[in-house]
Order: sequence, then structure tokens, then C-alpha cells
Amino acid sequence: MIKIQFFSLVRLLIKQEATEVPWVEGETVQSVLDKTQAQIATPFLHKLLNEEGVAHTGTIILVNRKNILHLNGLKTPIADDDVLAFFPPGAGG
Amino acid sequence: MNKAWKGKLLRVDLTEGTCKVEALNEEWANDFIGGRGLGSKYFTEEVSPEVEPMSPENNLIMATGPLTGTYGAANGRYMVITKSPLTGTIACSNSGGYFPSELKYAGFDMIIFEGKSEHPVYLQIRDGKAELVGAVHLWGMSTNDTEDAILSEFHGDAKVASIGLAGEVGVHFAGIINDKHRAAGRSGVGMVMGSKNLKAVAVRGTGGVKIANPKAYREAALDTYATLKENPVTGEGLPALGTAVLVNVMNQNGGLPTRNAQSGTFEAAEDISGEALVSGELRRIKSCMGCIISCGRVTKITDPRYVGEGEGPEYETLWALGAACGISDMPAIIKANYYCNEYGMDPITLGSTIGCAMEMFEKGIISEEEIGMSLNFGDGDAMVKLTEMTGKGEGFGKKIGLGSYRLADSYGVPELSMSVKKLEFPAYDPRHVQGMGLGYATSNRGACHVRGYINSAETLGLPEKLDPEATEGKAGVLKVFQDYTAAIDSAGVCLFTTFAMGIPQLANFCNAANGTDLNDAGILEIGDRIYNLERMFNLKAGIDPSQDKLPKRMLEEPLPDGPSKGNVSKLPEMLPDYYEVRGWGSDGIPTEEKLQSLGLA
Repeated sequence: MIKIQFFSLVRLLIKQEATEVPWVEGETVQSVLDKTQAQIATPFLHKLLNEEGVAHTGTIILVNRKNILHLNGLKTPIADDDVLAFFPPGAGG
Repeated sequence: MNKAWKGKLLRVDLTEGTCKVEALNEEWANDFIGGRGLGSKYFTEEVSPEVEPMSPENNLIMATGPLTGTYGAANGRYMVITKSPLTGTIACSNSGGYFPSELKYAGFDMIIFEGKSEHPVYLQIRDGKAELVGAVHLWGMSTNDTEDAILSEFHGDAKVASIGLAGEVGVHFAGIINDKHRAAGRSGVGMVMGSKNLKAVAVRGTGGVKIANPKAYREAALDTYATLKENPVTGEGLPALGTAVLVNVMNQNGGLPTRNAQSGTFEAAEDISGEALVSGELRRIKSCMGCIISCGRVTKITDPRYVGEGEGPEYETLWALGAACGISDMPAIIKANYYCNEYGMDPITLGSTIGCAMEMFEKGIISEEEIGMSLNFGDGDAMVKLTEMTGKGEGFGKKIGLGSYRLADSYGVPELSMSVKKLEFPAYDPRHVQGMGLGYATSNRGACHVRGYINSAETLGLPEKLDPEATEGKAGVLKVFQDYTAAIDSAGVCLFTTFAMGIPQLANFCNAANGTDLNDAGILEIGDRIYNLERMFNLKAGIDPSQDKLPKRMLEEPLPDGPSKGNVSKLPEMLPDYYEVRGWGSDGIPTEEKLQSLGLA
């Protein structure tokens, strides 16, 4: 299984902190995003990706706490038992 | 031609009890914009770098920017400039709320306080007129009670900035609180105000701010409104979750300094997160004057241990009084934050100092008998108690009130202070975000996040994502962040606009407001000028480049956890690059040519 953690506006939107989706061979961040959205009734992908399916500037997607922008983006391969964290753009200080 | 500057400063001689109006130096205003830059120019022209911070010879300047009190972005900031009793560097602490704009509406760009009053006084300003009045009856009051008393006796619509008990009893990180909940928080500017027996400044103004080109200004304002509203950070994220959204962000990324920076992740981060605040104590959101971002949090504690209502906490507070102390007790953190506002203290330095004391307690360096209680990491009740004792200057709170460096140094363990130039660093571990470490080391007021928030790029991906662990190129990027920030501060605009607003938009505002002709390079050159002016003051004050460093823990103790596990700060790799991109010598001292090019020679 792949563990998904929702943060910030996504969590407030779907009123859910986490979920799990089954892992299959060839899984990527993109496929996990699609699979997760299919499992949750409230649309949330627009908080993370634009209409072209590209991550918004400032969207943070972590795989085992590593930002996918320093891995292989949405094509980053996902292994069984990986943990993904989804943050829409946010800032403070 | 109209200009957004009022063209007047108020000079208050506290020793003589006089208030005089002077014309603003227009040449300096053009060279330094206003606020932080112009205030620092006045300060460095009039005060010796060797001045003893608590002496009457140290001035305290309250400075607005030309855009303070205008509409358009989040244009309501003022800055307090003085020599810091905590760090010995030039201090510039920045606050929003309503007080800054009211000062402009009353007809002044700036107030310069000189000398020391024999008895407690406060300053009343009403539409261009000012006088000092007795404040013996206010001395000892909280900032809340001080403001209420002044509104009652002076003017019900006045805006007030005051010190609490912490500023009176000599807490080295006392701040100045305006509008009850907004703080010029860092570097101990409130301690300097207290040393002058100045309790408060109360302002009532009914004028406006005239600008040079109203049509161009309106276009600039509408453009920026749209930018801020459409941007997911300023238009949605900050309003919904406030700055506290960063607790989970930094923790998940492995850069949340925990238990006095002994690790970079906090297992109970969720309990002190922005998301937890939304589902718990948050009652409503709140804006400063003219701001459409609304990052302010109005909160209420319902826990029977700590009743109360107020504002905050911010991200930095949740970290400092939370993760830095290993505390997951949200009501305790919020209560201590209320105390920080009421006593007038910087929660970053407070929390970091208590975290330092907790480590010293657990290592047997300080005894339970000396503290008057046990002080283990994770003990929220002890943290609240110690916060109150610090604000009052009681018992072991007096030692906490010295800040972490003086506390740890007095026990022979200065390396346990997570500070640079004696200012405690904020909520970003430099072993994870390498550029932030360089920023802490080179900030002109000591370790600070709002002097060059490169974490925006390193962690948040704004305006573009940089690898937090990389060092190459960080010096140049940091310099842009630092210089842009100096210009933003000086204009009187909130730094949070920069998550969406670019340098061209700031230039448009400044040009329309003042009739100037600044371009992007001109804005950054002014920022560079301000940075070098501050640097030169510090060098003359004896803060030499050997102080451009980080705590030993950051350089020698690898992060034990998180995605950056095993990393230390690579500051020594980055510092030479930084000196070079600044145009300084390899010794970290601005060259004569550099100073000449900026008009500072």
C-alpha cells in the first residue's frame, strides 16, 4: 500500500488527513495522484496541478519526505510502502 | 509636486522634554526610500556605533515608508531603528497593524527619540502637534491595559505603540507592541524604549497621504490587488491557515529545529500545526491596515488551564514555544504567546532561550533548585510559568531575559545557544536549508528569516524551487532576497506581498507615489546601499566578519533525522562567494570602491 498525507488547503477541502491506495508495478507520482483523486469524492487535484496537469508554482509533493522537483517530478517512480505528502502552495514566516 | 512622504519628522528630546518638527532630508529619502533605509541613514549619521545601547546617547527611531498609509498591497508598516542591547548591532524591527498608517495621517514620516526622561512619559501626537505627558500611572501595565488607558484619557480612536513590563525590567528581547497584537519584536528595541522611560506613543491623525501620480498609482494598485488575490499563497493559503501552515511543511521537509536544534523533525508537529489551529482555537482571521492577505489569527483558548483570548500564534511562535522546546501543548503555546504580547517580548528569542535552558537542565548544567522547577523538554506548563517569570523579571526568568547566548555563556556553554551575533535563529534548520544558514550568518541584525527569506525558494518553491541542500549559486540568490527585502521594508510594504509581487510592481508603486523613476536595478541598488550602510555600522561597532558564523552544532553535528539526515551546514563553502557577490573584500569588509559606488564613502 502507498500512504498518502494531505496538508493545508487540501486537508481543509476534503476534510481528511490521510488515506492509502494499493500499489501496483510501474506506479508514479502521477498515477498515485489520479488513483487518490478517484478514491475521494471531493475534487482536490486543482489545488496541486493546473489545467494542463502541471504542478502549480509552490506546490510541494514529497515522496518519503523528498521533494519530487529534485527527483523526477510527476514521473518519479513509487515503490510499495512509500509515503507521499501533498501540499498546495503555501508560505509564511 | 506631491509626494507620499509627509516631509516632516518629529524630534523628541526626552531629557529636555521637548518636541520639534523638522523637514525630512529629501536627498536621503531619495537615496534610501524611507523606513528601514532612511531611518538607518538618520541613525548612523547621528549616533556613534560605539554607543552603549542603554545609554541616553542611543537614539530610538520610529520610521514609516513612503507607501505606509496608502492602498494597494499591504502598505502599513513601520520600523524601529536603534542599537540593539541584545546583539550590539544596528536593530530594525518591523510591524504592521494600524499605528504606522496613523502616524502618517498625523503628518509625520518619522519620530526620533533622543535622551532619557527623568520620569515615565508617553508621547501624544494629534494632527501635527505633539507633547510628552506623564506615564507614571501606566508604568508596570501590560501593553493591553496601557492601550486601553490611553484610549480612555487621550482619544478613543488613537493608535498606540507601547512597551509592557518586559521593556521596563530589562528583558533583552523586549519588543514594542502596537494595536495590542502587532510587534516590532526582535533585537530588544522595547528594552531601549524602556531605558528612556518612554512607555508609549499614541497617535491620532485625520490627514491622508498625497501621491505624485494618482492615475499611475491606481493602476499599480489594481495590478497588485489582482496579483495578490490570484496568487494561491497570498489569495488563499495565508488567509486560510496563516503563517502556521509552515509547521507541517518544514517538519515534513526535515528542517524544523527541534529541542534546541538537536534534530530537524518533531514527532508531534501535527499537534502544533496550522491545520490544528484551524480546527481548534482559531476564531476568525484579521488584517492589518489596507491588507487583503489577512494572515492575522484571532484565537481563544478554551482549555481550563489557560483561559484567554488574543491574536496569534504565528509560525515562528508555534515553533519557538513548541518544537524548539519539544512542546506539543497548543493551549500552553497560545497562552505564552498572549503573554509575549502583553509583557512585550519576542517569542522567537524567548522560546529559543527556554529550549536552550531545557537542554542545559537535562544535561545537568542548571539545577532544579536554581530554576525553581524542573525544566524538561516537552513541559508546556513549565514553559508558560517561565514565560510569565521572564516578562516580570522574576527569579530564573531574569536569566532567560538575557537571551540564550548570555544565559549559556554564563554557564560556560555558549555553544548551546542557537544564535548568530547573539540573536536566536528562527524556525529553519540551516543543515537542511543551506541558503538560510548563509542568511543567518550574514544578516545585519543576527540570525533572522526576514532579512532574506531564501527559504521561499529552497523549501516553498517560490518564485522557483532551488535544491535546499545545494550551495552553488546560493550567495547570489540570497543577495537579491536581502536587497529586495531592504527595499520592501523601506517602502513600508509588508514582506508577505513578495510571495506574489515582484520588483517591477514595487518600482511602479514607488514611482507613482513619489514621482521617481526607479527601475528594477534601481530598487535593488537602494537595497544594496541599505545593506552596506548597516554592515558598516556593525563593523564600526566592533561586530567584525568573524561573527559571520553559525553555532558549532550547525557546522559539526549532522542532522540525525529527516530527509537531510547526515547534513551539516556548508557555510564555509558559501561565505567566500557571498563576500564576492556583495563586492566586498575576501575579509568580508566592503571595499572603498563598493562604498563609493553606493554613495557611502
